[in-house]
Amino acid sequence: MTFFEVVFYAFSTLMVVAALGVVSARNPVHSVLFLVLTFFAGSAIWLLLEAEFLAITLVLVYVGAVMVLFLFVVMMLDINITRMREGLMRYAPFGIAIAILLIVQMIMVVGPENFGLQAFAAPELHGADYSNTKELGRVLYTDYVYAFELASVILLVAIVAAITLTMRRRPNTRHQIPGEQMKVMKQDRLRIVNMKSETIDSEDK
Amino acid sequence: MIPLSSYLILGAILFAISIAGIFINRKNVIVLLMCIELMLLAVNINFIAFSHFLGDTAGQVFVFFILTVAAAEAAIGLAILVVVFRNRQTINVSELNTMKG
Amino acid sequence: MMTLEMLNLSIAMPEMFLLALACTVLVVDVYLKDSQRNVTYMLSQLGLIITLILISQQTPQNNEWTRELAFNGLFVNDLLATVLKYAVVLLVAIVFVYSRRYLQDRNIFKGEFYVLGLFGLLGMMVMISANHFLSMYLGLELLSLSLYAMVAFDRENPNAAEAAMKYFVLGAIASGMLLYGMSMVYGMTGSLNIVEVAVALDQMEGDNIVLIFGLVFMVIGISFKLGAVPFHMWIPDVYHGSPTTVTSYIATAPKVAGFAMVIRLLAESMGSFQADWQGMMIILAVLSMAVGNVIAIAQTNLKRLLAYSTISHVGFIMLGLLAGNQEGYSAAMFYTLTYTLMSLGGFGIIILLTRKGFEADNINDLKGLNQRSPWFAFIMLIVVFSMAGVPPTVGFWAKLAVLKAVVNIDMLWLALVAVFFSIIGIFYYLRIIKLMYFDDAEDKSEINCTRDMQIALSANGLSVLMLGLYPAALMSICIAAFS
Repeated sequence: MTFFEVVFYAFSTLMVVAALGVVSARNPVHSVLFLVLTFFAGSAIWLLLEAEFLAITLVLVYVGAVMVLFLFVVMMLDINITRMREGLMRYAPFGIAIAILLIVQMIMVVGPENFGLQAFAAPELHGADYSNTKELGRVLYTDYVYAFELASVILLVAIVAAITLTMRRRPNTRHQIPGEQMKVMKQDRLRIVNMKSETIDSEDK
Repeated sequence: MIPLSSYLILGAILFAISIAGIFINRKNVIVLLMCIELMLLAVNINFIAFSHFLGDTAGQVFVFFILTVAAAEAAIGLAILVVVFRNRQTINVSELNTMKG
Repeated sequence: MMTLEMLNLSIAMPEMFLLALACTVLVVDVYLKDSQRNVTYMLSQLGLIITLILISQQTPQNNEWTRELAFNGLFVNDLLATVLKYAVVLLVAIVFVYSRRYLQDRNIFKGEFYVLGLFGLLGMMVMISANHFLSMYLGLELLSLSLYAMVAFDRENPNAAEAAMKYFVLGAIASGMLLYGMSMVYGMTGSLNIVEVAVALDQMEGDNIVLIFGLVFMVIGISFKLGAVPFHMWIPDVYHGSPTTVTSYIATAPKVAGFAMVIRLLAESMGSFQADWQGMMIILAVLSMAVGNVIAIAQTNLKRLLAYSTISHVGFIMLGLLAGNQEGYSAAMFYTLTYTLMSLGGFGIIILLTRKGFEADNINDLKGLNQRSPWFAFIMLIVVFSMAGVPPTVGFWAKLAVLKAVVNIDMLWLALVAVFFSIIGIFYYLRIIKLMYFDDAEDKSEINCTRDMQIALSANGLSVLMLGLYPAALMSICIAAFS
């Protein structure tokens, strides 16, 4: 086994195991953590495929931001785990049957017969002076500028939608108005009153 | 060398696990959302593997955009989840059946 | 070196204007008080009118339509795209007219409805003009994400939130399927450009199991989005649960975009595999017509009834598409354009009957409509007749064109099945007419409605009748779009 093969088989095994963990974990928090592991193994596989930029993006953006968002929501909502999981065992045999059927059929199509090294020869690896990021950047801002703009619109829609759906204006929230605070004068707040000083025997009455 | 088929089989296995996960976890919306992420990861592996073996960057560019859209999708999905939870204090799909017909 | 001229920006003028409009509305709306929301509405409508003008400016010199490319081949403009874009912008503008009073009555008259509606419209226009799998995918997601948010937009309504959740999960799975199919096609052809894929596929000989495998996933993804049986589960719940204005948005313009998606992805890029996707579509079409028409009979909720009716109409549109020739495509296009018009009229009537605190979505709410408002009962009569396919309304010509296309590819049995199910369908359409004309009104309250909505709804209903009396003009445009 070459070094590449060791890395590939190690990380793909890790990936499949972690993916199984995502769908079968009892606690949603564990599912999210398994998903993080899946993505991490996935990014190692992408490095083997010389997609360095995307591999780093997957870890930084996906694991770093999206998965943390998932964790936030899972922990914020107080979910009744036992109720959530009652269907798991009931549907499990059905799910496993579907998975096995799908895998067998898909492997028949995408297996070595159609996509072996005879059909698709392994490409020459790039040298150390090759920059995947530069390569992607060059097409992203020229050939795919339309798609780039559309992606920005999609992100804008996501912002608008998320704020519309979740932001609540609570009518009785108290908050400070700094401008008003600064305008306050001494006479608005402080009142000097004249009164007789109290004596000890007043307490006895 | 690792043939293209190995990568595609890995993608296929992940895809199948995500479909099975959708069937198994049909009551639990939050795990459903995670299964969808898994499905997109399977697709991404396919695209990147093809891109590598074809020597063509288009596949990687597609993955770049799938990642962007998936992030936006996750944000909206979780926002809807929060709205559902606020309305009924549960995200159990079996209790989401007020509409019939 | 690449220059700005190479992008050929001028043919994407309507899209660029619409994007600028949506961003302007978004920003202006932030500075408005709740009592000034009409400004948002007016600005959106004005912008849509300008967009319509910009689209009609797209006609080429000497009326010779060619496929014009922009943005390095990611964007295409042809007669098909221009006609469909005109239709979607018009439909969304009418939905906006219908929406105003409904939203005001429910205290959800917010700028976000219009902003998301405009972004969704942009997504549809991108899909219609897509010449690349990437632009098709991004347009589809732009549309879908806007729709998910619009469905859940009335946050206090638990039904809407539930509908949004179901729509979101199924929609996301459908996108995943579609992408898996696209990845297979990419692997076999080495390209994502629709025209290049078509060229590469033409050169392949024999059956290619990988491509058929990819095709299956693409067809599943597309049928999810169109709502064909057995991938229709989301349609009744989403139609029922969403605020009725959002339902009228989902039920109209996105269907036109879905038609464009089938044409671009299946007809244009996978054209040489027509025999393979035809088989899948026959199954989908027959199931859709059967399930849609039979289950609709049992419905008591008007929105659910129209949802099942949509499913059966999607089956009819697929009949035209599966013919796989110019005649079939133009018949399907005619069907899509006219069906969306009828559907808009149907939901318009439901919105008309609603008032504060009353949804009017039960079928009994139509009782005695003739006594309450003979004119709008007549409009509904036209719409319902047209959905059932009764002459002289346009629905009859649409069904006839589709059936002719199917008979001409020697599938007489399929045409007979379609006729059989549309006869079953007539039953529940007649029930609506009976309720409107032969039952006494339980609820005799005045129909109050703004002048602009009355005019739009009357024009909507009458155009269904007029297109039925003079179908030739629209038909010739549909035929020209595919020649």
